[in-house]
Amino acid sequence: MVSIEHLTFSYDGRPVLNDLSIKIKDGVITTLLGANGCGKTTLLQLMTKNLKPTCGAIKLDGRELKDISVKEFARRAAIVHQKNIAPDDLSVERLVSYGRLPYSSIFRPGLNEENQEQVERALKLTNMDTLRERHVGTLSGGQRQRAFIAMALAQNTRLLFLDEPTTFLDVRYQVEILRLVKTLNKEQGITIVMVLHDINQALTYSDEVIGLHGGKAVLQGAPEDVISTESIRTLYGVELPVFHSGGRLCVMAV
Amino acid sequence: MKTIHKDIFKGVVGCAVLAAMIFALTLIAMKLGSISITYGDLFNGLFVAYDKRVAVIYDLRFPRIIVALLGGAALSCSGLLFQAVLRNPLADPGIIGISGGASLAASAVTALFPALYLSVPLIAFFGGLAAFAVIYSLSWKGTLDPVRIILVGIAVAAVFTGLGEVLNGIADSTGVSVSVSGLSQLVWSDVRMMALYSAVGIVLAAALSPACNLLALDDKTVRGLGVRVDRLRLTISAVAVLLVSGVTAVIGVVGFLALIVPHMARRIVGSDHRVLVPFCVLLGGFVLLLADTAGRLIASPNEISASIIMSIVGGPFFIFLLKRGDRHGKH
Repeated sequence: MVSIEHLTFSYDGRPVLNDLSIKIKDGVITTLLGANGCGKTTLLQLMTKNLKPTCGAIKLDGRELKDISVKEFARRAAIVHQKNIAPDDLSVERLVSYGRLPYSSIFRPGLNEENQEQVERALKLTNMDTLRERHVGTLSGGQRQRAFIAMALAQNTRLLFLDEPTTFLDVRYQVEILRLVKTLNKEQGITIVMVLHDINQALTYSDEVIGLHGGKAVLQGAPEDVISTESIRTLYGVELPVFHSGGRLCVMAV
Repeated sequence: MKTIHKDIFKGVVGCAVLAAMIFALTLIAMKLGSISITYGDLFNGLFVAYDKRVAVIYDLRFPRIIVALLGGAALSCSGLLFQAVLRNPLADPGIIGISGGASLAASAVTALFPALYLSVPLIAFFGGLAAFAVIYSLSWKGTLDPVRIILVGIAVAAVFTGLGEVLNGIADSTGVSVSVSGLSQLVWSDVRMMALYSAVGIVLAAALSPACNLLALDDKTVRGLGVRVDRLRLTISAVAVLLVSGVTAVIGVVGFLALIVPHMARRIVGSDHRVLVPFCVLLGGFVLLLADTAGRLIASPNEISASIIMSIVGGPFFIFLLKRGDRHGKH
């Protein structure tokens, strides 16, 4: 569904991504891995039309991103960022209803029946339906992030990008969000592309990982197949033991 | 949907209360001043028989009241839009130099092409746009840093004020006055001009109010919802500049009003711009008329201009906001 061909991106003359080519698999959870500054967030920004490639192409369903308007893109892909600002007195339901903007107009934000149904669905999927009348400012960190995920789900897209969705959360909420992401993928069939900070969370919740180093994708595949002490050394420049525990692949990150 | 209705209800009640307060204040402002008159005489003079005193009040005091109401409305609406666009609660078109740009352009055209009188607000609009373009481009570093906008804006405002003084000095020596004299000495043609520009601006602001709500989210988030956020920001900015330019062309620079009123409004009715725009329009009109009326009466027969009153009250308020901002971060 997303394919990247010979993508180069320079920032202030410094190349961040260099002739990168990858294909994102349909219907699975893909996580971008790499050290700080390896360009994983930049790549996500490029895939979501927040940045423009210097060279090369990013294609969504065979069409180049630059030929897809932001509005049409918003009907095909939704994005959740790591930190989200919103007025404290905005109700959860109104926030989620913004997710219907790609299907309506800013100047006529009235919700027709289909829009209302999609908002309901998004609230239920994220378990936010009981909190719909709450103001965003009164939510916990985890609830707040779920509200923004609900907004993205209201866009009713087959593709969902998440940029470090758990960075600012306590571990309990991190797990809650990642389980939700897993459920969305398994039960709703949404293709997920995300950037995660925590290697072990990435290994546990991803079907596929892509490792970036030196502006290129140096590995891609199922975590069990591609993650090893050597590949971790390539990606992060540090020697860490990799082992199996309870049927799961783990990296001893200390 | 219950919460949404509750907020709208609060806004409607707020607007109704303000409208009643404006009505009462207008009655008081009509009566008080150097010519004292009873409501009975005023009514007779207006609707029944000619009365010399009432005619003077009609020609001098009425335009002043109406311009104060419209000017206050337009200015605070402009401040509200700037604060939304720059996502900065400290943005005030007076402080950041937009009014200065508009005022300089207006003075220049008055001095050089006096025949273009009716299009002065339009010229002021282009002056304001130029000032905004300068401030925006100098403050933009991938994102808008609120403090940077204020600092750049203050510098730009200082330059415009200086240039304005130079222009006034040159014009004075030739016997032409180009400075606008606040709310005193207004006539009905000023009212018509002000009404035209304010009405257009306020209607556009109301139409854009749902879009202002969106700008409270991150740019990336808004873009992700399929909205061309940069274009939206420029559109709203243009309306904000239009609003402040029309006012500046008629009554000159009034500082702080556009800063204080949106803050008071948010405190009272919350952050939904669909409610805030009408509420700010009414509250702004009320506050400027109150400042002007107080200025006429405090040291009578001398007048203290509304802009001086706004500065005296607004300065401390601005410092208060800065200190609160320190504590609560940038929101």
